[in-house]
Amino acid sequence: MTAEIFDRGYRQYTGERSGVGGAMRTLIKHSVKRSLGLGRPARFKIVPIAIILFAFTPAVVFVGIAALIPEAIGDEFLPTYAEYYAFIVTTLYLFAAFIAPDLLCTDRRTGMLGVYLASPLDRRTYLIAKALAVAIMLGIVTIGPPLFLMIALAFEGSGPDGFLGTLDVGARIIAAGAMMSTVYTAISFAVSASTERSGAATAGTLGLLVGSTALVNITADNTDVSENIRLGSLLELPTELAFRIHGEVGEWQPDDISTVSMSLAVVAIVGLSTAWVWSRYGPLLVRR
Amino acid sequence: MMETLVSAEAVAKSYGNFSALSDVSFTISSGVTGLLGANGTGKTTLLGMMLGLHQVSGGTLTVLGVDPFTDGHQIRARMGYAPEHHTLPGDVRAADFVHHVAELHGLPPREAKTRASDALWLVGLGEERFRPMGTMSTGQRQRVKLAQAIAHDPALVLLDEPTDGLDPEQREDMLRLIRTVATTFEISVVLSSHLLDEVERVCDAAVIIGDGRTLASGSLDSLRGTGADVVVEVGTVQEAGQLGAALERRAVGHRIAGRSVVIRGDDDSVFDLTRDLCVEAEISIHRLNRRRLSLEDVYLERAS
Repeated sequence: MTAEIFDRGYRQYTGERSGVGGAMRTLIKHSVKRSLGLGRPARFKIVPIAIILFAFTPAVVFVGIAALIPEAIGDEFLPTYAEYYAFIVTTLYLFAAFIAPDLLCTDRRTGMLGVYLASPLDRRTYLIAKALAVAIMLGIVTIGPPLFLMIALAFEGSGPDGFLGTLDVGARIIAAGAMMSTVYTAISFAVSASTERSGAATAGTLGLLVGSTALVNITADNTDVSENIRLGSLLELPTELAFRIHGEVGEWQPDDISTVSMSLAVVAIVGLSTAWVWSRYGPLLVRR
Repeated sequence: MMETLVSAEAVAKSYGNFSALSDVSFTISSGVTGLLGANGTGKTTLLGMMLGLHQVSGGTLTVLGVDPFTDGHQIRARMGYAPEHHTLPGDVRAADFVHHVAELHGLPPREAKTRASDALWLVGLGEERFRPMGTMSTGQRQRVKLAQAIAHDPALVLLDEPTDGLDPEQREDMLRLIRTVATTFEISVVLSSHLLDEVERVCDAAVIIGDGRTLASGSLDSLRGTGADVVVEVGTVQEAGQLGAALERRAVGHRIAGRSVVIRGDDDSVFDLTRDLCVEAEISIHRLNRRRLSLEDVYLERAS
């Protein structure tokens, strides 16, 4: 026996509504899923999966080697936490350059921004939710692999000592990862807020990162200006600060460029980027 | 008594030196209300202010009893909005899109999913709901926009040019759907349009905007009212000409339109004179009544 529904009717909804917080959670969830290509055709899954694989593969390999043949590798075989960023920094740039444009430019180009702003979200909460989504995605790359590395170092016998040591290293990993995610989220947001074209924003983000670094290094290497000019290198600054967060020293010497200067430069980059994004979205008339 | 959903009192909106709206006053009650005006007269600005996206520069605007700018998130949770543009994300399936928007408006995920599916069935896209929106026709995308606007059971829905880009048959279907939303689903609708006949057919009331101010507002019956003229329809065009000539001789203002003659004035003496002239010239009268104004007449009259 078969049944057929002839009239699905229309039901009133009398339950609770989740308000602004719920709308932000929904937007974050939706944006993360979109960035991962979930619910989208296969071609949209290629870039995020490849980038995550590139970021995690070295760490997973290190864990495997350290677990299976710990005696065959010396104490110097595994990289330090900060050194590991060298493995993932390129994937991080690419991730930042692809995700933010896809999430921001597409909404403006397709008019989805108008649909979002007709919900309990406003410009501020919309941008916060989008920024959190991008930061979460970048956090997968900046925080996840170093946590794997901590496991590998533990197998090797050079991991953190005891519960407090583990907490300390864990906190540094999260702080460094969150800092890098925040900086690259801010930069890619600033570029994405300047155009409706995702491709242009991706190229612009990569161009800004590479261009600033090239310009700063050429100037620093060929003139007598202060070494602090290197703070303008958007590729190197977050990685160098990550070294300091882990208590290590990278290419930049503390005598030349202090940790305080680096921290202030990061705050300035995030602040300027935020101000730029707001200046673009604040007066924006919602497209019909 | 009908509930007042939107109330505007001397609302103004300016961007720098440019004044988009200068003096807009109206009330919108339950049912379907048309927001009429030529392109560029500030309809979308007004919709934006109703959604709390723009602050009024002057006057008072309340939506669902509160100030939409200061309490925008509360209002928007209970409002639906279908934008005019057709460029929704092409790679997203209609069901996912409607589900997402319903969740944004505060519905729990499971409820949002069920209602998204129901809403798409109700607008006639049940079988098409898992298709990416980029593969849909303009008519189908207009229906998706309507579905996302009603899926979360709003108290008020704002539809911006919902028949834009539709062929006549699709337009008929969309207007029928809008009427169903108001009458069967009991969701009040504000329909922004520059098409007068569309508003006349589907709306209970209208707000007409022009030159940044309200030209007219109220129920369609009160707006159209009864005209100040008498219309007499005679048997032939020649008879219309004869009657016109007789009126000319008596210096009575009139104009001829085919077999109809529109005579200025609507008191009983005009009826008597028309009857007498027709009897005298042996002109057959097919219809004699006061002229009922169309919305277009009202618009043109107020705009001029």
